[in-house]
Amino acid sequence: MTGAPLPEPAASPTATDAGVRSTQRAPRPRWRETLGLLARNPTAAIAAAVLVLLVLMAVFDETVAPDGPNEISVDDRLQAPSWAHPFGTDDLGRDILSRVVLGAGVSLRVGFLAVAFALVVGALVGLLAGFYGRWVDDVLMRFMDVLFAFPAVLLAIAVLAVRGPGAGNTALAIGIVYVPVFARVTRASVLGVREEVYVRASRSVGASDWRLLTRHVLPNAAPPIIVQTSISLAFAVLAEAALSFLGLGTQPPNPSWGLMLAEGRGFIDIAWWLAFFPGMAIFLTVLCFNLLGDGLRDVLDPRQRTLMAGGGR
Amino acid sequence: MRTNRLLPLAAAAALLLSACGGGESVDTGGGGGGSGGEGGTLVAAVAAQPDQLDPHQTTAYPSFQVLENVYDTLVVPNAEDLTMEPSLAESWETSEDGLTWTFTLREGVTFHDGSEFDSADVVYSYRRIIDEELQNSYRFATVTGVEAPDPRTVVLTLSQPTPNLLERIGAFKGMAILPENAAEDIDLVTEANGTGPFRLESSDASSTVLTAYEDHWGGAPSVGGVEFRYITEPAAALTALQNGEVQWTDNVPPQQIESLADDDSVELQTTPSVDYWYLSMNYARPPFDNRDVRRAISLAVDREAVAEAAWFGAAQANQTAIPEDSFFHLDYAPFERDVDQARQLLSQAGVQTPLTMGLMVTDEFPETVTAAQVIASQLEEIGVTVEIETLDFATWLDRQGQGDFDAFYLGWLGNLDPAAYYQEQHQTDGPNNYQGYSNPQVDQLLQQGAVETDEDARKQLYDQAAQIIVDDVSYLYLYNPDVVQAWAPGLQGYRIRADKAIDFATVELP
Amino acid sequence: MSVVVFALVQLVPGDPIRLALGTRFDQETYDALLARSGLDQPLVQQYLTWAGRAVTGDLGVSFRSGETVTSLIAERLPATLTLALASILVALLIAVPLGTISALRPRSLVDRVATVLSQIGISVPEFWMAIVLILVFAGTLGWLPSGGYVGLTEDPAGWAQRLLLPAVVTGVVSGSVITRFVRSSVLEALGADHVRTAQAKGLPRRQVFTWHVLRNALLPLVTVTGVQLAYLLSGVVVVEIVFSWPGLGQLALQAVQARDYPVLQGAILLFAVTFLVINLVVDLLYTAIDPRIRR
Repeated sequence: MTGAPLPEPAASPTATDAGVRSTQRAPRPRWRETLGLLARNPTAAIAAAVLVLLVLMAVFDETVAPDGPNEISVDDRLQAPSWAHPFGTDDLGRDILSRVVLGAGVSLRVGFLAVAFALVVGALVGLLAGFYGRWVDDVLMRFMDVLFAFPAVLLAIAVLAVRGPGAGNTALAIGIVYVPVFARVTRASVLGVREEVYVRASRSVGASDWRLLTRHVLPNAAPPIIVQTSISLAFAVLAEAALSFLGLGTQPPNPSWGLMLAEGRGFIDIAWWLAFFPGMAIFLTVLCFNLLGDGLRDVLDPRQRTLMAGGGR
Repeated sequence: MRTNRLLPLAAAAALLLSACGGGESVDTGGGGGGSGGEGGTLVAAVAAQPDQLDPHQTTAYPSFQVLENVYDTLVVPNAEDLTMEPSLAESWETSEDGLTWTFTLREGVTFHDGSEFDSADVVYSYRRIIDEELQNSYRFATVTGVEAPDPRTVVLTLSQPTPNLLERIGAFKGMAILPENAAEDIDLVTEANGTGPFRLESSDASSTVLTAYEDHWGGAPSVGGVEFRYITEPAAALTALQNGEVQWTDNVPPQQIESLADDDSVELQTTPSVDYWYLSMNYARPPFDNRDVRRAISLAVDREAVAEAAWFGAAQANQTAIPEDSFFHLDYAPFERDVDQARQLLSQAGVQTPLTMGLMVTDEFPETVTAAQVIASQLEEIGVTVEIETLDFATWLDRQGQGDFDAFYLGWLGNLDPAAYYQEQHQTDGPNNYQGYSNPQVDQLLQQGAVETDEDARKQLYDQAAQIIVDDVSYLYLYNPDVVQAWAPGLQGYRIRADKAIDFATVELP
Repeated sequence: MSVVVFALVQLVPGDPIRLALGTRFDQETYDALLARSGLDQPLVQQYLTWAGRAVTGDLGVSFRSGETVTSLIAERLPATLTLALASILVALLIAVPLGTISALRPRSLVDRVATVLSQIGISVPEFWMAIVLILVFAGTLGWLPSGGYVGLTEDPAGWAQRLLLPAVVTGVVSGSVITRFVRSSVLEALGADHVRTAQAKGLPRRQVFTWHVLRNALLPLVTVTGVQLAYLLSGVVVVEIVFSWPGLGQLALQAVQARDYPVLQGAILLFAVTFLVINLVVDLLYTAIDPRIRR
């Protein structure tokens, strides 16, 4: 099959496909089929499994963690990995494994919150801009362009300087940074759907804008947005780490991977495990979100409308 | 996070860095010898870029690291014990009533542009600080007149006896002598014209370069020049030292001390500093206005453990401000960690536990973040829940100024005189009394100490004041850290100093 | 745009004057400094003064250092430009061959390896990679300096040595992103009708590839390279810090920390303008490359 770039767009709606069906109901992505296809992509499946595990770990953190993550014991500090402390101990004698487990909760929560914010606001903006076009499009997207023109980390730093540090504000800062990305993807996707037969048909029989948007446009524009969500989660986790690394994110003594990495940095040549394990945790989580995003893209968005922003900068 | 940022270590005001202008105050082995004088360039790795090079305007330590080698003051702290000794002033006399100080200036001193140094330059420099209300004008609070009866004499007249006048005008290069009309003639922010051993060659975003000033009054420096290279990351600075890119650095985190002790590629030295770190509680926020509550907290803190955690043993626990090596040190340690007694004090004070206390720290000084976590775990045992707030320094200072805090944790750096240790922080209307401490007895003692000219009597006054301050827990004193610096083996003629002044006048390359 | 820049910056709490004074506070000095900085003026007036001067290229004077903002930025421009261009070069050197090879043999071993590598490149935290590289190449092996910057004219060898590690770190990340674009756009071009037609006509493979495939695949490549370049030019804050690289990102971060409004405003304005200019250049290149766009 030379030249066939990617798997056939099985779950992706096409005009002919929809046209022959009813004018009332636009096709939705077929979930079962999507999952089935995903399952046939072993990398994506493994990535999804690891992520589920991570989420479970984050939910049951206190039970999973062998020690109290904030239990200080200066006498036990900087111990190399051993049976008692599989990941070793940090400069205050805290168990690094426990802190990595607890850190999963912090990093994922910030990541999910950030992307949820970006998704809701960005998708709404993109939807309105794409659907109504004309001046609405102009005004909204110009504003998005301005926002997009700010360097991501600096924008987040400025937001954090205004709002003060902390997990919630970090999520907000990262969320704001990714709003334009979602707005663009949604808009592009909506533009593709807007003139489809079923939408025009629906409009001609007098469906309200609201109904058109929620029943027809959004569901059909969704696949690239879903892919973007997975990829953005990867970048959000990276961005949280970078901001905590700069001291603006999560506050001590609470463990977040970025903060642990930053704290461990000063010990890298005398106790590598301080920075190594949180670094690996960030890397693996981000990798899984990216692999899952790739798998989803193959299935949902073969035409690659999704934006791939650069490495969490 | 630990620091990335090129931090404007602005805490500075506090950094009364000192200096030694000339070669003569540092006598270290090696003297002169063979390297032929014009030697190569010493490359020093420092943590940050100077914010600006106007000695009267900057408050940043990275600036003073450079300026130390470019400018001189009338007097300088001796490298040994930090007492004041001659520099641009050769000698001085005090009138009977202590209100008139007459300085005789050194002869044959020239600025880097070749012009002669005389008393007009001193008058100009001091008047600039006073008249323009620059950062250090508070140091002239008791000075009513600056006059130059002849080119070699400067007379300072005072409103009250000021036993620490020499410290006030010589503690650091913030009191540097500029040539007359310097501010009009050159752009002091980026250019320099001093009398120090090195002249400023260039300064950009990656390094500041100095070249030896051959006509320096104390003799030409041994090296041909000094390059201050900014390496923010401690690990990178150390690597640079180990592989020979740089020959000196002060960007050495305390946890490295042990592993560097037996590293042949690095010569590491530590010496007790004149800095102290403390915790301060807000008297305007009950229950921290209650002496028993503050004493309970003081009793619950294990200072040794805090010092060990934050400084890896490179700090001495201390319950007063002034370190052991100082003449003004007071051996007074009334608080022995006692959790039960602390609990009892809290309940006596009628405090419901758990009591929540916000503790403001800043990532400008990462050790405060580490230490705060240890303090939090110690206070947890007496039912005080500490909520750590890590702020950037700008926000931190803002909230300190507005009194918007339960407690904060910071240090005062580079102190030389007991007045600098206690007066502005604990006097009722002291400008840095953010905690709101007020004790008439302390006020009176500090007042007397400020004008007492007899050293021993003066020490007694400050001892008494310090005892009350410690008992009342106006500040909860924690420890005095060490100065930690490292250089290439074989580097000669450099001396690590308690006041963290970096003087390269007599340094010789390996 | 300039209003947004100004407003955002002014929202940041924290008082630059108090910060300049440090911990030793004195009301009289404070008032004197405040008046000198112009911060005691109403905000609208501050904005008008700033915007009026900005139009003429005068971005004001730094609170922190007293130097003009333009000279502070100019001082850091060479380092930023050097790193950005070197990184893009590294990125393209990685991305173009890797992406093309994987697209030519989809689903082969080479393709899979390339995909995994690019995924790893995107997922590794930059600052983490930077620290590890310093430790290995500057520390253990001692082959390269640990950071810093020297001008090309001063010391060409030192310039190249210092540039290598940061350029590799940022280049690998950007390169991984670009690899994926190259792969998918080459694939798409290979499947396009005119390419198939050309193949059917029996044109030599090489000619088909260079003339039809690469030319079409170039368009998305230009876009994504432009986006990456814009990121790089606005200063890779974290990498600059780890490598002590005196670029604009460092300057902007310091300005935030010092509440140095004029510098921050100037830097952000420059980033925004850079971004717009790059977009414009990308558009122009499009017209040059794509025969379908004729305006």
